[in-house]
Amino acid sequence: MKQPLYLFTNSTVKRKDNTLRIETSENKIDRPIETLSEIYLFGEHSLNTKLLNFLSQNKIPVHIFNYYGFYSGTFFPREVYLSGHVTVQQAAHYLDPEKRITIAHKFIDAAASNILSNLGYYKNRGREIEKQISRIKTIKKQLALAPGPMELMGLEGNIRDLYYSAFNSIIKQNYDFEKRVYHPSDNFMNAIISFGNSLVYTTVLSEIYRTQLDPTISFLHEPGYRRYSLALDLAEIFKPILADRLIFTMLNKGELSEKDADQKLNHCYLKDTGRKKFLRKYDKRLRKTIKHKTLNKQVSYKRLIRLDCYKLVKHIIGEAKYSGFKMWW
Amino acid sequence: MYIIAVYDINTETREGRRALNKIFKLMKKYLIHIQKSVFEGELTKAQFQKMKLEVMQIIDPDCDSVIYFSSRDSRWLDKEVHGLGKDTTDNFI
Repeated sequence: MKQPLYLFTNSTVKRKDNTLRIETSENKIDRPIETLSEIYLFGEHSLNTKLLNFLSQNKIPVHIFNYYGFYSGTFFPREVYLSGHVTVQQAAHYLDPEKRITIAHKFIDAAASNILSNLGYYKNRGREIEKQISRIKTIKKQLALAPGPMELMGLEGNIRDLYYSAFNSIIKQNYDFEKRVYHPSDNFMNAIISFGNSLVYTTVLSEIYRTQLDPTISFLHEPGYRRYSLALDLAEIFKPILADRLIFTMLNKGELSEKDADQKLNHCYLKDTGRKKFLRKYDKRLRKTIKHKTLNKQVSYKRLIRLDCYKLVKHIIGEAKYSGFKMWW
Repeated sequence: MYIIAVYDINTETREGRRALNKIFKLMKKYLIHIQKSVFEGELTKAQFQKMKLEVMQIIDPDCDSVIYFSSRDSRWLDKEVHGLGKDTTDNFI
């Protein structure tokens, strides 16, 4: 399977001999283009149009993160998997409130299930989170009754609040995690969550790019300007599976600590060391495989995202009903 | 599948030296260069097939040779490095 490339050391990235060359101050490294899925840029790099043309030919998106590790954007090569039929149907599903809420509901339903199985895992390990679990279950039952995406987002917000309030019991280290704060994160926990979420977002975006779906037309989130909001929709399902579980394990094992973050005035962000440690585990997790129930073969976590995209396409063109991916373990 | 490709090209003739260069550039597209004429990396069956076809068009079967070692997964491959050797196949740079 094609693999992503993560660049941390400041470098110049070039096209050389029809493949990728990374020139750092110390050495020159060649990487095969044929097995590359996407590039993540952290730190400072120089690229030229020759390279961008080359990456575009090979359909490789480049995700760029700024100095603080916040996602700043993606070089999105020209769309290649085009299908007018899917695009038209996707827009039609957005415009019809009935159809839109059906899909939006599936996203939240799957996200809530995955959140619950995360919590269930830690409940079995003796954490006192019974209260949050039962309350999330109650809200989950109300999801189907929500009249519109706004109400659905509201319920989703309630679930998240409960979920985050369970973090203090799940994580053994004593981080004061009061509530989720964005833009910018105000403490260590928020910094990791933000970083993890932005990674899930980019992974989902890369997978959507490889399907006929239009990443700007979303169902749960309002399709805004300048954002690939469909990636936000699908990321909801995969955040608990890919990012949150990783955060819990790494903090409980002490693999990440406040030493890996920089706290300045009223914001906090992960340092290069922290980002690297987290990304390594994240990359490993994406490659981890599970035996898929219906396909009856080994499937990587990353592939699960693509499969969900395909399921969504099938739903949109009316071939099969969509339901978001739910962990069964 | 996990591939290790090794080549030996006769460079006594001009065509040979040209083939050597071409093979090197071609392999770089698919695999990671680890030693002078040794490459390794993970490929799908289709990519491997494609690479082999392209290699065949370059080499002269009478005096050159390319050898592929393949394993279904890098897990079933032990690698030991003596002397100079960082993990050159890492996808974190």
